[in-house]
Amino acid sequence: MGCVAFVPAQTAGLRERVPAGLPVRSELAETPFFPQTEFHCGPAALASALGAVGVEVSPETLGAQIFVPARRGTLQAEMLAGARRHGAVAVLLPGELEALLREIAAGRPVVILQNLGLSFLPLWHYAVIVGYDLERGDVVLRSGTTRRALMSLRTFEHTWARSEHWAFVAVQPGQLPHTASEAAVTQALVAFERVATPAQALRGYEAASTRWPANLSLAIGRGNTLHANGAKEAAMQVFEAAARQHRSAAAWINLGSVALELGQHERADAAARDALAIGGEWTGQAHALRERVLAAARAVVR
Amino acid sequence: MKQIQRLIACVLAGSVSFAGFMTSAQAALISTETVAASQGVPGVADARGKVYAALDRAEVMQALVARGVDPDHVRARVAALTDAEAAIVAAQIESAPAGGNDVLGVVLFVFVLLLITDILGFTKIFPFTRSVR
Repeated sequence: MGCVAFVPAQTAGLRERVPAGLPVRSELAETPFFPQTEFHCGPAALASALGAVGVEVSPETLGAQIFVPARRGTLQAEMLAGARRHGAVAVLLPGELEALLREIAAGRPVVILQNLGLSFLPLWHYAVIVGYDLERGDVVLRSGTTRRALMSLRTFEHTWARSEHWAFVAVQPGQLPHTASEAAVTQALVAFERVATPAQALRGYEAASTRWPANLSLAIGRGNTLHANGAKEAAMQVFEAAARQHRSAAAWINLGSVALELGQHERADAAARDALAIGGEWTGQAHALRERVLAAARAVVR
Repeated sequence: MKQIQRLIACVLAGSVSFAGFMTSAQAALISTETVAASQGVPGVADARGKVYAALDRAEVMQALVARGVDPDHVRARVAALTDAEAAIVAAQIESAPAGGNDVLGVVLFVFVLLLITDILGFTKIFPFTRSVR
């Protein structure tokens, strides 16, 4: 294990000075609590996090969706997927204690994975951080069968570091965590789109593309979900803006496809030619679009 | 038993890739996932490409069923994973952390820890251990 400091680095930093704008203490007392059943700390923690954003689902229901019997536990990817399936966006947080505390101060409980044992004898456990007190030097967890489990910041950081500082918040579509990075939010929304309703996915992309207007993936997501919601003119506007802003062949192709659906053949043809002019990895799809435009034009003539 | 497993894998792989083909034929729009992957957004695409993604999904479904997950639920479970997540789960389903908080595990943990300290000579709890000289 090498040389492990008694007081781990992030805790030491927090002891030295309280980060600007962070309250000394905060606790989300109204976060729901579900005492875990055997091996089911994952479903219990997830039920708690979802309940906190108004999604009421029992640990039993979640267990059937995320628990792996032979592993006697829940895998991290399935925790995230479980949140998605119930209409919440699961966003991974930066691996910093300060980020976790800021989310709590902003009213969001955080689901974490910690190794309560040692690296060679692990005891993996999911819990929800609902509070902290920098003066007392501890965090408050919904953990196991304990509604308010206090753990020193030092011990928390040791046990959390072993999971490579894995933590996520579940948010309503359209809400964005305070501390999550652009990449993490984009990843979360793209994953969410797989299983969310078009309306939910759109709310997510609208909020995120407002915060990060230069992000092509979010713009495409917004355009695609507008289209899925039946707002085809709005989708075309988003695709055109993205195509020009990023010189994106993919955006031109999607613009052309939607234009074709609406019978706007000239616009579709222009978009196809713009996509072909850019070339690159989307050349195949650009050619396919051009073919469809020509076929549609021939059909009209006949 | 192995033959049945192989048959299940073939059926699952076939139905997964068929579904994928159907989707790409009908949906003329380039998916957000595809653009995000090309933009280098982490955690979305399978590093080895779309074909492997389909295989990874089938493998994950089979692996979950083999580990006690209800076969009726497994398709929906895997559909909620991104290609990247499916690839990771496929590769690490045995080794990845599975949070459970196992009381028996705690007992076992303490037992093994004390065994080690006995062997190292820091304690003498068990009568049957001989510490390293």
